Amino acid sequence: MGRAVAVIGTGQTKHGSRFDVTYPDLVREAVMACFKDAGITPDDVDGVVSGTMPSMMEGVALTHFYFADAMRSVGKPIMKTETCGSTGVSLALTGYYWVASGLADIVLIVGSEKMHEGDSQATMTTVLEPFYQRHFLSGAPGVFSMQSQMWTARYGIPEDKVRDAAAKVSVDHHRDALDNPYAHIKVALSMDDVKNAKVITYPCRLYDICPNSDGACAVLFASEEKAKKICPNPAWIKGVGYRGDEYWFGDSDKVVWQCAIQAAKEAYKTAGIKNPRKELDVAEVYNPFTFQELLYYECFGFCDFGEACDYTLKGTFAKGGELPCDPSGGVLCTNPIGATGLIRVAEASMQVTGKAGDRQIGGAKLAFAHAMGGVDQFNGVMIIGSER
Amino acid sequence: MAKHFRTLRHDVWLPYRIAVGPTFNRFYEGLKVEKIWGNKCPQCGKVLVPARTFCPGCFVDMGDWIEVSQEGEVVTWTLANDRFYGMPVDPPFIGALIRLDGTDCDFLHLVGGFDLTHVDSVRSKITKGTRVKAVWSDQKKGHLMDIKYFQPV
Amino acid sequence: MAGRVGIVEVAQLPGVESGDYFLDQVYLVCKEIFDKTGVSREEVGTVVSASSDVFHSGMSCANAYYWDSGAALLKNGSRQDAESLLAFFYGVMRILSGNYETALVLAVCKGSENPETDMITHFFTDPFYQRQIGLNETFAAALQMRAYMDQYHVTEEQCAKVVVKNRKNGLKNPYAHLRRKVELEDVMSSRTIMDPLRELECAPKSDGIIAMLLASEKKAKKLTKKPVWVRGFSSSMDTFNLGDRNLLNGQLKTAAKKAYAMAGITDPRKEIDVAEVTEPYAFQELLWYEGLGFCGPGEGGKLIDSGATEIDGEIPVNPSGGVLSMNPYVSRGLYRLAEVVLQIKGQAGERQLQRRVKTGLAHGTHGFAGQFHAVAVVGR
Repeated sequence: MGRAVAVIGTGQTKHGSRFDVTYPDLVREAVMACFKDAGITPDDVDGVVSGTMPSMMEGVALTHFYFADAMRSVGKPIMKTETCGSTGVSLALTGYYWVASGLADIVLIVGSEKMHEGDSQATMTTVLEPFYQRHFLSGAPGVFSMQSQMWTARYGIPEDKVRDAAAKVSVDHHRDALDNPYAHIKVALSMDDVKNAKVITYPCRLYDICPNSDGACAVLFASEEKAKKICPNPAWIKGVGYRGDEYWFGDSDKVVWQCAIQAAKEAYKTAGIKNPRKELDVAEVYNPFTFQELLYYECFGFCDFGEACDYTLKGTFAKGGELPCDPSGGVLCTNPIGATGLIRVAEASMQVTGKAGDRQIGGAKLAFAHAMGGVDQFNGVMIIGSER
Repeated sequence: MAKHFRTLRHDVWLPYRIAVGPTFNRFYEGLKVEKIWGNKCPQCGKVLVPARTFCPGCFVDMGDWIEVSQEGEVVTWTLANDRFYGMPVDPPFIGALIRLDGTDCDFLHLVGGFDLTHVDSVRSKITKGTRVKAVWSDQKKGHLMDIKYFQPV
Repeated sequence: MAGRVGIVEVAQLPGVESGDYFLDQVYLVCKEIFDKTGVSREEVGTVVSASSDVFHSGMSCANAYYWDSGAALLKNGSRQDAESLLAFFYGVMRILSGNYETALVLAVCKGSENPETDMITHFFTDPFYQRQIGLNETFAAALQMRAYMDQYHVTEEQCAKVVVKNRKNGLKNPYAHLRRKVELEDVMSSRTIMDPLRELECAPKSDGIIAMLLASEKKAKKLTKKPVWVRGFSSSMDTFNLGDRNLLNGQLKTAAKKAYAMAGITDPRKEIDVAEVTEPYAFQELLWYEGLGFCGPGEGGKLIDSGATEIDGEIPVNPSGGVLSMNPYVSRGLYRLAEVVLQIKGQAGERQLQRRVKTGLAHGTHGFAGQFHAVAVVGR
């Protein structure tokens, strides 16, 4: 698997509506926080990896130029990794392979987004080519609602059971976000609030769906040798996985979703995980939609297919349960897309190094981080642990 | 593969609303009252214009704001004759990098105020080192083009 | 560098506008790689591609479109934005990490479907300052060219010679977009775009879809009798505000230095047998000679005058015809590398250099006045 790679620092901005700063200044906020956390200077960095959602989102193209100074990449080699929503984990994978290959010892990884400056749904609509799919699929919620409908029909899950399970997910995550100083949406919700909210694309209602957020996240990876010298308490990358589906939405089964299943399996294999629900202590699942999060529990092997609602309603995946999912509040409460996947990696790292403050899952040693991208097209997974 | 083909015309138009932030806000307000604001890095002492939030070299927050000189020297220039997307004014115009007196970086703007029709006469009038001074528009919008151009003195 | 990575095979499409559907073209180049090497799509370990949303026919999330056409279905793959040499570097990293035996590197840019290049490069600017002055890559290049000529007394003729040389070389390249001879007088009398830049000194906008197969040392030796080994590579980024930069001495030197160190090259002019550089504006080739260490600062004009960079010269530069003959913005870096690989393998057809070609250099750049540079050294 190449050299061992450690996470030696993380930084995030206060995510939300950040009209108080320009985009590069937002990026710098996360970068400075990360260097402070790691206790090293930019001079120590061998290379910088960055990425965001497509240029259409903020109206600046090839942002690695725009952010060159904010990321302290002047005079250094860079990589520019972008894979739609899964960008955050793809960024982490780039940093991982760079250090594991032996070609760099310390790599800074930066993901960012300033969604309030653009029209996110219009941007996402342009993922689809103009010959065929663009006429039918518009924006994100429609796609994930269709996926949920396919899933509940497949397993004969009664409508009110899945509605209750999804509502519980929303209530739990929104409450968890109150403990996260970086989270965007901070509102305490009741089951009724969620179940009676405005329908966006059935069955998804307002509180089943992530917000548009501004935010940035920066993470530092290091080789084992460097980490041992400079970091008293590193986290370690135990496994990585990634898969992509066909471009055409209808070509693959998005319920027994091989893309998600295999991405997780690839990561579990290297990490030596055979029973994820038992062996993982915490999971930061990419969860912009409550209904889809339930399906992810099944695809990632946290429970069998068709069983996610039962386990959720029992509290298995809530704080205090067997496998707490998204104690940060997750994507549902904070979604600066280019950063979001990287925030999952940062949160997972903080959990296994005891740095997660009020959202800490006690005794966490092994964590799962994930990001999804495209029209249900990409899934990336990273397993992070406290042991080398 | 066959040579004959159709093409689909497809234009994408997207609106943006971009956060200006405190630094450029203050810089733009300065333009409205015919001031060009720069600021100084407390670590390396460089004066940069337009004013920045942080010094790119030192990565620290910039310090004192300085009203920089509106006069300087042409560092390099180019005469544009063709129309192009996003052009600042109708051609012909001269785009240039200008080192304003007392600053440590070059300022990207236009040079003008004389006949630009013939490139040979322009080349004899403008060279590296030509001294120029800001000429302001009557209408101010808080935009870089509140400065009409820099005119040779 | 622990272990070696070999470049096994190349498949490229020509730069002229094609009426073929984009995804069909992507499929074709990948299939050509599989057919030529005997490696199946299933067997390929990972796929890393290069593309850019703004150079992508109006579609965002560029990698989504061609993921399965690009042989990556249900594979662990990724994408680099804008610079195809970075996709190549990433493929090398993935193999050196020990996780993959083979990596398919793909770069896509169907220029004929995109707006004018400068309409796109205008959006590299920040919305507050440089965009308001109308900056784009041509505008920045014109400022850089004037500064270059003023500082070192490089002449317009010397800059124009790059066009003559490269367009002449391109005549022999079946993949080139522009294949018509151009004389010095043609360049000097062509329309001024942004003084002193002339129309014939600016690269066209081309199609360009290309794939390359990389393999670990052991696998490469099995797959081909002539693997081209990756010897060294690096890249370097400059500061963003044009006015903060030294336009004549940017980051190319840093990128080249690191690449040479990795490759064990101490005298590039002697040790490099062929170089493919990215020269979207003719004068930049002269400036890049200097950054690459082929000559001293300010001596680019003298170097081209000497004939040393001609196809029969001491250090041939751009035997493919370069970017002036074919410019698929995103994939042009990988096309540079492909030419070097073909020259080393002796497969460059009519344009094959009549000399021993053992070591080659490929260079990519983009951003205002070359804000970013990538350099790779490969050889037998």
